[in-house]
Amino acid sequence: MAENVITLEGVWKIFGQNADASMAAIHDRGLGKAEVLKEFDCVVGIADVSFSVRRGEIFCVMGLSGSGKSTMVRHLNRLIEPTAGQVSVLGRDMLTLSESELREMRAMNIGMVFQHMALLPHRTVRDNVAFPLQVRGEPKSRRWEVSQRCLEMVDLTGYEDRFPRELSGGMQQRVGLARALASDPEVLLMDEPFSALDPLIRRQLQDQFMALSAELNKTTVFITHDLDEAIRIGNRIAIMKDGRIVQIGTPEEIVTRPADEYVRDFVEGISKLKLVFAHSIMVPIKDYKPTRQVNFDESPRAHHGADLDQLIDVATSTENVIIITGDDGDDIGVVDRATLLKGIQGGKA
Amino acid sequence: MTDAAIGATERSVEEFVQEKSAYYAREFARIQGKTGFSWSWNSMAAVCGPLWGAARGVWGFFWTFLVLELFALVQVGRGLWGELGADQLARYERLLENIARREAQAAESLALGDADDAEAKLKIAENLRAAADKALEAATAANSMALTILLTGIALLVAVKLAEGFYANIAYEAQYLRWRSGRGAQAGINRSGLLFGAVGILAIWPLTLLRFTVAKPDEAIAGFTGGFLGERVPITEFPVGKEYFAALAKRVDTGFDWLAINFGDVFDGVTAGIRSVLDGLEVLLIQSPWPVVMFVTVVVALRLAGPRVAIFTAAALVYLAFMGLWELAMITVALIGAGAALCVVIGIPLGIWFGKSRRAYAIAEPVLDFMQTMPAFVYLIPIIAFFGTGKPPGVLATLIFAMPPVIRLTALGMRGVPETTKEAAIAFGCSRRQLLFNVELPLALPSIMTGINQTILMALSMVVIASLIGAEGLGALILEALQYAAKGQGLLGGLAILFCAMVIDRIAQGIYRKKTGAA
Repeated sequence: MAENVITLEGVWKIFGQNADASMAAIHDRGLGKAEVLKEFDCVVGIADVSFSVRRGEIFCVMGLSGSGKSTMVRHLNRLIEPTAGQVSVLGRDMLTLSESELREMRAMNIGMVFQHMALLPHRTVRDNVAFPLQVRGEPKSRRWEVSQRCLEMVDLTGYEDRFPRELSGGMQQRVGLARALASDPEVLLMDEPFSALDPLIRRQLQDQFMALSAELNKTTVFITHDLDEAIRIGNRIAIMKDGRIVQIGTPEEIVTRPADEYVRDFVEGISKLKLVFAHSIMVPIKDYKPTRQVNFDESPRAHHGADLDQLIDVATSTENVIIITGDDGDDIGVVDRATLLKGIQGGKA
Repeated sequence: MTDAAIGATERSVEEFVQEKSAYYAREFARIQGKTGFSWSWNSMAAVCGPLWGAARGVWGFFWTFLVLELFALVQVGRGLWGELGADQLARYERLLENIARREAQAAESLALGDADDAEAKLKIAENLRAAADKALEAATAANSMALTILLTGIALLVAVKLAEGFYANIAYEAQYLRWRSGRGAQAGINRSGLLFGAVGILAIWPLTLLRFTVAKPDEAIAGFTGGFLGERVPITEFPVGKEYFAALAKRVDTGFDWLAINFGDVFDGVTAGIRSVLDGLEVLLIQSPWPVVMFVTVVVALRLAGPRVAIFTAAALVYLAFMGLWELAMITVALIGAGAALCVVIGIPLGIWFGKSRRAYAIAEPVLDFMQTMPAFVYLIPIIAFFGTGKPPGVLATLIFAMPPVIRLTALGMRGVPETTKEAAIAFGCSRRQLLFNVELPLALPSIMTGINQTILMALSMVVIASLIGAEGLGALILEALQYAAKGQGLLGGLAILFCAMVIDRIAQGIYRKKTGAA
């Protein structure tokens, strides 16, 4: 297992004048969100959030608006100070950094992409992309070279001397992405980067981002309110509600084993075909009680990592049940028609 | 509506009115059932008038009908006991006295044997008698108006009462809607409201009635109070003369004198500073040969703001030259230039500060208002006291008046920079300084430029006023024109000021447009 690049432990953020008093009250008396608002006039932004992100992983945080996901991601580069808890990024305790160390960390190690692009309207695309380098005090020749390379990565060659307002929303967000990549940071924070774009452009940018990310191998925390997007992009997904993390898991775990009603509601509308795999719906071969005579030898074989989509392809070519094989080629389970249909329907056997 | 919904509405009306809920529920339903005006009569409101409004918390109703009823009551009062012909009667009595005096003088003259003089006096007395008869007639006529006024008053009172009765439920229904949406409207009957209403009526009605129905209200009140509060209780004018004002003004004078004596060096320093800026500009503009100044100005306009502005600039300069106003105009430009430059140098940093700190802005806001609205003459006086007369104090007066726009608009621009953009810059490791120069100032620039533009124009409007304290230039020309009512001189001089302003402003705007690339 790769090392953890980002670790959050018991992070709380309470907005308002009496944040510390409310924090103490939450610890001592276990007040809830509504009670804190009523008693202290403070809003609980995020509550007791802990997770870690491994090197090279894309970690999606999914939640509806107001669930605290944007607040949470701003703790990772300390745009927001937590009320309590620990934040460490790249092995450094973010909360003990001095002002200048923090600036250096932001300029060198953590790139960020924003929902509303937040480009500087009075600067050309090139100067926007080079902004993090300028902040770091790099000379102009180097800035231009790097921004050229980054614009190439996001397919914007030829737009260097345009102003942001001359670009479409999708292109602007690609500039935003190039800017985040310009300082070649180990960590990328993406705060709903594609939410403001129309669906088609969003899909293109998702593809482009996934290709880039496979190539660059950045550790990414990706905020979204769209579960489809989270499932498409994320290696792991955290689902947030009311400032708390409800569940963390791989897309498959989230879809097949939702932790509670809230997650189940979300997962309901998601197509499971590419998310549910043979090993999670198969009946172990020793438990399998055939309802009629089956000839295992004539049955087709499928790898246990095949998804439902592939299993359907196999099932339509035969009358027999499908035998699932393990990594070493042994027969380990059986999927018959009923199991497969159940799997498509509910994501579990 | 379903029955349940009707029931819910009724219950909420009940909760709102608390007393007489059946009546109000019925009337509200009637009002809500109509789209236009609906006749809904409220006897309680008609009888009690403003007091009903006070008790139910319908304060608009209370104040409106307090005034209307008072007006009607004043008419009734005038009709019943008002001394309608009082002033005419007083005149009649004065005339009678006068006649008696004249007649006495005539008798005296006759006794001394001066028949002519006696006759003249008698003649005057006769004329006066005619006037006295007229006054008496007018007084009787006014008295006979009493009945008409009384009847009008009663009719008015009835009309007001009718209006109260028909308007009350409409106003109350509107209040019910406000109450429903939870904007703190009063529900039910409130005793303290009623008390306040009664006190309000007692405070307003008797004195006002007295003032408008009695000829000498001050003495009348003294009569009512039995002389307890003196011979005359002044309700027609505030019983204070100039004594406080004079004392306070004297104190302020002493304070200013003290400051002028003890901080003379500071004021001299400020004057010297302004003078050095002014001198620099004047050397540049006046001592340089005029062809050089003209050429440079036109070229600057051309390069910075384009050919159209350059042509306009050339035309304006030609006008100044041919009117023989060249030197005066250059003095004026130096004055404005120094004023505007100091405004910008001082105003922009202040604006940045106020843009960043809400508290500082809250404190500065009244000061800025003061600077802008206080008539210039008011601060000209202390400026003369501290800085004397001449150009530097003129620049100072310009500073006070012209600085607020650049401060305000800089602050506005700073606050208009989107939080998201600032956040992004910080997320990439910007320091506060980098944030200011790379993000905030460039984004606030349009607003700042508008502020500078405003400041220049306002500095220009101060030119004439600054000339009052001895600042020379076109302003002095206009001041002179004003003194001799020289229309032509005033108009031509005014045009010269206008051209100076427009040239400076257009060039400044041109620089900005060119920089941002917006044509």
